[in-house]
Amino acid sequence: MVDIDAKGKDFKAVSQAVKDAVAKGAPVVIKNAVGLYGLGAGQKSSKIKIVGDTGDYIGIVNAGGEIVVEGSVHNFVGDNMNSGKIVVTGSAGYGAGMYPYGGILYIKGDAGDFTATMNKGATIVIGGNVGDEVGTYMTAGKLIVLGNAGKDLGNYFIRGTIYLGGTAKRLGHNVKLVELCKEDIVELKKILDDAGFKFDVTKLKKYMPETEKPFYEHKKPTKEAGTCR
Amino acid sequence: MPIVGAFCVNQDKGRCIAYEEPWKCGICTMVCPQKVYSRNEQGQVEIVNDFNCVGCRICVDSCPSEALHVKPAEPEMFTRHIWNSGTVESIHYKAETGEYMLRGLGTMGPPTPHFDSMVVVPSQISSVSPKDKYREECDMTVVIGEDTAKYPVKLQVPIIIAAMSFGALSFEAKMSFARGVALTGSMGNTGEGGLLPEEPWIAHGYDKINGEKKYDPGGSFAIQWSTGRWGVSVDYLRAGDAVEVKIGQGAKPGMGGHLLGKKVTPEVAKIRGIPVGTDALSPCRYYDVCEFDDLKHQVDIIRDLTDYKVPILMKLGPSRPYKDVQKCVEAGADAISIDGMVGGTGCSPEVVTNGVGIPTIACVTEAVRALKDMKVHHKVKLFALGGIRNGLDAYKAMAIGADGVGFGAAAEIALGCRTCMSCHTGQCRYGIATGKAELRYFLDPNEGGRRIANFISATAEEIKILTMLSGHSETRSLTKEDIRALDLNTAAICGIKLIGMEDYWPEYWRKIEGGK
Repeated sequence: MVDIDAKGKDFKAVSQAVKDAVAKGAPVVIKNAVGLYGLGAGQKSSKIKIVGDTGDYIGIVNAGGEIVVEGSVHNFVGDNMNSGKIVVTGSAGYGAGMYPYGGILYIKGDAGDFTATMNKGATIVIGGNVGDEVGTYMTAGKLIVLGNAGKDLGNYFIRGTIYLGGTAKRLGHNVKLVELCKEDIVELKKILDDAGFKFDVTKLKKYMPETEKPFYEHKKPTKEAGTCR
Repeated sequence: MPIVGAFCVNQDKGRCIAYEEPWKCGICTMVCPQKVYSRNEQGQVEIVNDFNCVGCRICVDSCPSEALHVKPAEPEMFTRHIWNSGTVESIHYKAETGEYMLRGLGTMGPPTPHFDSMVVVPSQISSVSPKDKYREECDMTVVIGEDTAKYPVKLQVPIIIAAMSFGALSFEAKMSFARGVALTGSMGNTGEGGLLPEEPWIAHGYDKINGEKKYDPGGSFAIQWSTGRWGVSVDYLRAGDAVEVKIGQGAKPGMGGHLLGKKVTPEVAKIRGIPVGTDALSPCRYYDVCEFDDLKHQVDIIRDLTDYKVPILMKLGPSRPYKDVQKCVEAGADAISIDGMVGGTGCSPEVVTNGVGIPTIACVTEAVRALKDMKVHHKVKLFALGGIRNGLDAYKAMAIGADGVGFGAAAEIALGCRTCMSCHTGQCRYGIATGKAELRYFLDPNEGGRRIANFISATAEEIKILTMLSGHSETRSLTKEDIRALDLNTAAICGIKLIGMEDYWPEYWRKIEGGK
């Protein structure tokens, strides 16, 4: 176990310390990381624990690392994650879990606007409420929100699934409500139990995209595109 | 009153009903508001007043046997000004279909200021003597990230290939570019559509992954970090010799990449992680950047992820070049590609391609002024993109102050493209901008690579000729003194001397350039 006190250090110094520790194969604990960005970026197999609140881009392009934040994170946690696991015991700011291709992101508290935007295959679980425009243009993966959502939930998402525990102020375009099936319940239970959430999964509402092609593709011309010579 | 004789009217007498069968049909005589047609004594329809024709083409539309043709005798831009046939037809198209026009390639229509309104000034007796192109050397290398990156990118020619994604281009086209880059020591780019594993290897000069070195001298390869973030992972970022952060592009600044569903084949869908046949419309901005500091932090993180080994490039659309370029430098860019509005694309709404942004020459001028004001001119490298066609354009861009140029549309044309503007349909007859196997068959990556390499080396030779005849032995020493403007607009926009005047005009540029 390597302890890193990030007090007064900048991104480059802390990142170098983490790299050195990871090279030895030791788990890392980072303290006093308030306002520091990019911690745990691009980790492949390491275990990193951040004690206390921290800043933006935690676990960006995570490639298999396990990151636990005992506190809250600022914006863009788990940005562009490809695999691995990130757990935030507090809340997250704007844009948690954007552009991820895989992996799993747990946020025990609330998350802000534009959470899980362009999710391309990750599982993102929010224990509390989320803001507006959540799950915009998701192309795959799962988004599970146990609390309430703001406006335009799942706006123009084309694939993947959104599960909502509470209510949404307004659903986005291309979103339809579908029935939960048995397989969903088993899977959701496993995902939530793994992180120690206590929630009756049968109460989740399941949303799917209406069509995979909500833009130019499904809009066909009303008449064959003809012009008068 | 319209211009008399602006249109030629042609009647195909073999098809005309009223010519073969007198007193029949004659619709044209009834519909023509300008009385161009009339029946003769035998009842046949004849063109009697063709100089009256205003080009409305009602007759053409009404003729049941397609016997009539109306062609402009003068460009319609002069005779009909804004209400030319193209304008009328595009309104009809929108009215019929309810859709706006999408197309490929760059700005068309009314001419925008371009490199054509400049000329090169050769050396004679009062200046440094010209250098001999045939028997002397010319240094055209460009080094990116000399002070900041562990492994700077060294270009043998001041030419790069602009970012074009897999998906927008076929696999064969991407491989052709990689081979061309390897054969000339230029730099390729992934574009935003993810990485083809072979690409960096071939661009470096190897014949395949883990293969043997086959192509000399071997080029470089940039990885693009873009707003759609298709196929991005930490290994992706580490796969190239540079990382390019895309802010915008010339053909559609303020919008993200457009890849229509017709081009999303199973391979493209797999690398991007989207369903087959859906439109891949990238976001217009980085969703994960709220303010400028966020972008700066992203650049820091990318540098750290690549262990400070590779330079960071930035790609800008044409907006407010002076301030935008300064922001790029502030964010930590080692090189900036600025794309003028003339720049092309695989798909964009026509109004955006045609009317959004500022022309390349204005972008380059302001970008150079920004770099000079920050005292990083030629340290932070500047590449001019957007409508660069040959060595002459490249020379002029470099004389204004760019370090090099990028080829996008011109490189595709070198592969065989005939500029049909239908890249977005995926029906490219030359196998360049398509995903269909039956069309891709027409493009051989070896032959394509040879063509790209030939085009780049011929262009580089052109740059060399011009550089040496103006008395320089390296491209980086070119200045605005080496070119002149043919018109006042260009002189005012670019701050170069007007032909025949040994002074800067207007006052604004005299203050900036005159003192030096």
